[in-house]
Amino acid sequence: MSLGTYFDQLEHDVLAAMRKPSKLYWTALAVSAAAFALGLGCWGWQIYEGLGVAGIRSPVGWGVYITDFVFWVGIAHSGTLISAVLFLFRAKFRCSFNRSAEAMTVIAVMTAGLFPLIHLGRCWFFYWLMPYPNQRHLWVNFRSPLIWDVFAVSTYFTISAVFFFVGLIPDLAIARRRFTGWRHWVFRILSLGWQGTAEQWKHYAWLYMFLAAFATPLVISVHSVVSWDFAMSVIPGWHTTIFAPYFVAGAIFSGTAMVITLVVPMRRILGLDNYITVDHFEAIAKILLFTSLIVSYSYIVEFVLAWYSGNPFEIAHFSFRAVGDYKYLYWLMLFCNGLLPLTLFVKRLRRNLKYLFVLSLFVNVGMWLERFVIIVTSLARDFDPYNWGNYAPRFVEIGVTIGSFGMFFMLFLIFTKMLPVLAIAEVKEHAS
Amino acid sequence: MERRDFLKVLGIASGGVAASWSSGFGQDKLVSRILPPPEGHVPGEPVQVHSVCTECPATCGLTVTVRDGLPVKLEGNPHHAVGGGTLCVRGQASLVRVYHPERVRRPLYREPGGELKPIGWDEALGRVRTELAAAAGAGRTNAFWGGRSTASLHRLIGETCAALGLERLPEFEIYHYGALRGAYGRLFGRRTVPAYHIDRADALLTVGADIVDTFLSPVEFARRVAPKLETGWPWFHAEPALSLTGARAARRLVIAAGSERFLLAWLLRTVPARQPLPADVSAAIPNVTHEEAASKTGVPIADLDALARALAAARHPLVVAGGVSTAHADGHAVALLAGLLQWSLGAIPELVDFSADHTFDAVGTLADAQKVVRRLKERRVGVLILSRLHGLELLDGALEALPDAAFSVGITDFLSPAFAGCRLILPVSHALESWGDAEPRRGRLGQIRPVFRPLHGTRSEGDMLLGLAGTSISYKDYLFKAWKPYPAAWWTQGYVERPVRAETIKLADGAAAALAAMGRAPELATPVLVVAPSLRTFDGRSRVIPLLHEIPDPLSTVTYGPWVNVPPGLARSMGLADGDELRLGGAALPVRVLPGLPDGVLLAAVDAAAGLGLKADPATGELLVCQSGVAVTKTGHRVPLPFLSGGMDATNRGIVPGDEVAHHHHEKHTLYEPHEHVDYRWAMAVDLDCCIGCSACVAACYMENNIPVAGPDEHLRGREMSWLRVQPYVRDGEAPVFIPVMCQHCDAAPCETVCPVYATYHNEEGLNVQVYNRCVGTRYCNNNCPYKARRFNWFEYDAPAPLDRLKNPDVSVRPKGVMEKCTFCIQRITRAKDKAKDDGRRKVRDGEIVPACAQTCPAGAITFGNILDETSRVYQLAHSGRAYRLLEMLGTEPAVYYLSKKVK
Repeated sequence: MSLGTYFDQLEHDVLAAMRKPSKLYWTALAVSAAAFALGLGCWGWQIYEGLGVAGIRSPVGWGVYITDFVFWVGIAHSGTLISAVLFLFRAKFRCSFNRSAEAMTVIAVMTAGLFPLIHLGRCWFFYWLMPYPNQRHLWVNFRSPLIWDVFAVSTYFTISAVFFFVGLIPDLAIARRRFTGWRHWVFRILSLGWQGTAEQWKHYAWLYMFLAAFATPLVISVHSVVSWDFAMSVIPGWHTTIFAPYFVAGAIFSGTAMVITLVVPMRRILGLDNYITVDHFEAIAKILLFTSLIVSYSYIVEFVLAWYSGNPFEIAHFSFRAVGDYKYLYWLMLFCNGLLPLTLFVKRLRRNLKYLFVLSLFVNVGMWLERFVIIVTSLARDFDPYNWGNYAPRFVEIGVTIGSFGMFFMLFLIFTKMLPVLAIAEVKEHAS
Repeated sequence: MERRDFLKVLGIASGGVAASWSSGFGQDKLVSRILPPPEGHVPGEPVQVHSVCTECPATCGLTVTVRDGLPVKLEGNPHHAVGGGTLCVRGQASLVRVYHPERVRRPLYREPGGELKPIGWDEALGRVRTELAAAAGAGRTNAFWGGRSTASLHRLIGETCAALGLERLPEFEIYHYGALRGAYGRLFGRRTVPAYHIDRADALLTVGADIVDTFLSPVEFARRVAPKLETGWPWFHAEPALSLTGARAARRLVIAAGSERFLLAWLLRTVPARQPLPADVSAAIPNVTHEEAASKTGVPIADLDALARALAAARHPLVVAGGVSTAHADGHAVALLAGLLQWSLGAIPELVDFSADHTFDAVGTLADAQKVVRRLKERRVGVLILSRLHGLELLDGALEALPDAAFSVGITDFLSPAFAGCRLILPVSHALESWGDAEPRRGRLGQIRPVFRPLHGTRSEGDMLLGLAGTSISYKDYLFKAWKPYPAAWWTQGYVERPVRAETIKLADGAAAALAAMGRAPELATPVLVVAPSLRTFDGRSRVIPLLHEIPDPLSTVTYGPWVNVPPGLARSMGLADGDELRLGGAALPVRVLPGLPDGVLLAAVDAAAGLGLKADPATGELLVCQSGVAVTKTGHRVPLPFLSGGMDATNRGIVPGDEVAHHHHEKHTLYEPHEHVDYRWAMAVDLDCCIGCSACVAACYMENNIPVAGPDEHLRGREMSWLRVQPYVRDGEAPVFIPVMCQHCDAAPCETVCPVYATYHNEEGLNVQVYNRCVGTRYCNNNCPYKARRFNWFEYDAPAPLDRLKNPDVSVRPKGVMEKCTFCIQRITRAKDKAKDDGRRKVRDGEIVPACAQTCPAGAITFGNILDETSRVYQLAHSGRAYRLLEMLGTEPAVYYLSKKVK
């Protein structure tokens, strides 16, 4: 097969994924949209009635909403990692994942960004968290980690979106060439007059490299800042210095798992077996294993720190975490995040896509539980026993969480039909 | 028509219309309700009116704060000897009663079909007169049956009964002190409840008498004992269960229920008599040996000896028996022996004062009430007028017998159990809407005066009685006539003390016979169920007030009951956890495991008594509140029981006084500039040595700061709204320590740094200020508050009309979605500063600002002031060597200092 025919075949195969959707696709889209609508309905009800319809209480002022926020921010991490970091390291296998990972990042940050709003008592005043000049000289409190969050997450979103879009431009030009009708016009506008000249490629390469270099530290900063929401407080179980690296590793771990969750079925449904190979998955599985080890190490360090500190509150809190009212969640989390990924040391399992898919689901659950355990158990048992109390989510919170998954999958499904799911230009580059 | 003429006509016409509308229409809303407006009254400014609290028989003095014609806050009347400026939890909350949405608003007549129909006052009173005549014609006795009445109302009831030919039945009270009165009658020929001058005693033994909970006049007792608590005053409290009194006494003796007579008899024989007893009396005292006293009562010998030594060494020892110890099957013996011990110790007449006795003369016992019930059942009663009857449902068969009267008339503010079945309901005005007087103890007179016009079409009981008797004068005129000889202080201070005749008390001749008739002590088998009076509802009469359910019972922190407290040992052996349902006789109640409750004793409040089948003691007429050997079985059901404490064991957490951990300090490093306080740094000192846990401060805080009532469902979700709560902690099964916790106004407040929008910040006076308008509701501040002192508005909390009018206009009402918390009553600080400025002073005087909690504290445990001022009381207390701060090792630098002897 000549390179020309291969390119033609590649373009055809990738863009074929954007043709008329199957019934399965429509069903998946309908289910996701329905879940999203449920979430919106729950949120609307909560705004109308007050936050009391949720299960949060004193002392557990943050529950499932903040868990969801951290979870989705974590999911958003691997996009940048797989795209930018692996790009800088010239890891060729990235080109089969990077587009979906980047789309996942943008969508996950959008989903995550809703949660700080959802959890506000008066979400209609969300803009007060932004420093804008106003007549009354009201300003935000830069000492508050929540303000750092606003900046960290919005910066991350902006860079991720730009990075995603810039990477798309050459492929959009291909799509412009291959589509007729309204799509042609859309791609024509989006491709920003890309001609593929040497001059353009030169600028493009520089810009892409620059954005990749710019985005890489954000992988570290965003989740560090998110972790500081907790670490900067006085609450036993939150107030610890290991949180930033611990959360970053956890974020990459969960993000990688979500990439596997998304790409395994996508590859099958869109027929991209030739372009996303088992070798690629094995490489991703190794990242998963590595980050799992870091996360497990952090779990151990947390307990050792609590014991070594001699601080009665820390010790009491961590014994509550392990054997208290939420112990089942804690041990399930440990199983999902610490024990199960150890099986990836076996090469056969690393290369078994079905196994990887199931494992990634477990890791997703485990990482959601990790955030839940950290947030809820720490708040439930702080200093004064009088104030202790347990939290359980109620319907509205569960509905909103389902809605967030609905939103995420709905947008991802729309992405798979609207934009090229593989970086065609890059695959071509590696092929030639 | 000329243009000018048109304008003239228009002007006259519209003016006329406006004038005609202004009479009547909307007048109620526009014209101030104040009666009468005092001279120099400025609209919007608070007016203070003296009155009397009628929520319980203690009748403490009141100062009512009236704003634009509506009472907004109750405080104690400092001129009144009862309360002396303070109020209890019930007194504070009683203002809710006035605005209660379920109050009866107009006379109601029950149609033969059973339906209640509103009628006019003239028709209602006319109907009563017709029925009176008809019943008298039919040969039946017409009768008046009321709760305890004093002073003018007492006299008027007598006069009305005489005028209308009504028989005045013995007054009905569940807690009527019949055992004590009976014993004093037999011993000294004075069937009454004397005044106990506990503050003059230098050693005190209370046997069952829960003097700071509900006994006789708890606010006054609390006020009198509080200053002595720090001094190592030997106060022993013997009790079978657990009460606030026991928790506060210097030494709590857990005594087996029903064994009190052995303790008292042993003391009579052991402690040298100051007033010799006649030989026949001495001989009649049961012979109890040292060992017997210890084995029967379960009190360790060392404690018995310490008690005997303390009483013997004291110059003015006092013994007071009462409460649950005189309301069990051996109650008459306990009351007799305690009376005799008072005599023998020389406490009579100085400390046990019969000349200024509590006015219970007309109050009958439950035995009298049973006689009434019997007569009703025999259908001998014609018209029965009921008034102020509380707890009638606890008397076996009483409610069922009421319809046997030919015609029943209820004078009441609520359709409570005794009144629900009446044929005619006459709605009575609240004390704050009527004139009156109260005399809880002989010679102590408090004035009840209206602070506003009745909210509804109600009348005072006096006016009703005068109307029934057909007299033309109003109750106000009746009272004013009676008050003519009173001194000027009656009008300016609302309280006078009238001289009482001193009485000589002698041991009666029949004393020995009375002792001999005591019989053998009945044995009470375990488990014993003790049904104690309720701190929050007294005998159940305050149950209609939602706020009193919202405020937790301080011992168990249960809010919305009913429930039964179970000792940890029994809970362990039966496998009971909080919320498990327990079957006790005819009732099924959820369990709350109560550390500090002696094993073998179950404790319930009287609110839980329905279905327990409590009987009356034939010997004393007391309600038998100690049930022996109750059969308890676990039903297997779980009941959602709201209680607010997440745990009572705070060992080594830097919270309870004397903890070691509190002194562990890391070196303090901070990146922030220290706060500069120029004129003031507000601070508070809470004396845990005299805090009795009575929760009056909590109620005062609710009333002062417009704090919403969240309700039981929200409590089950952990969402109470109180800015101040009384937190009980228990160590090693001892009686609890109470720590009132509010916002600590930390100097290095963890909440301030985490708020993204500066809704909470440190102001220049050291207050941790919450700006409701700016709050977006992230709840990060409360997450980061080690004291969890902050409250989030989960919903918009609306009170049903007319309760929505009960708002302190100085304090903003918070919308849903914002955080709130204790402000140190910033509205009072501002008012005091304004006043200082008006008076030309630069600074506020020490003691000029009194937050609502400190104001009402009967024990005077809370002090507020400027800690920058070294002469201020709060500064001195904070530097007294007794002070510590909660979770001090965290470095939050709280402005609230807790004082305790246990701090080294």
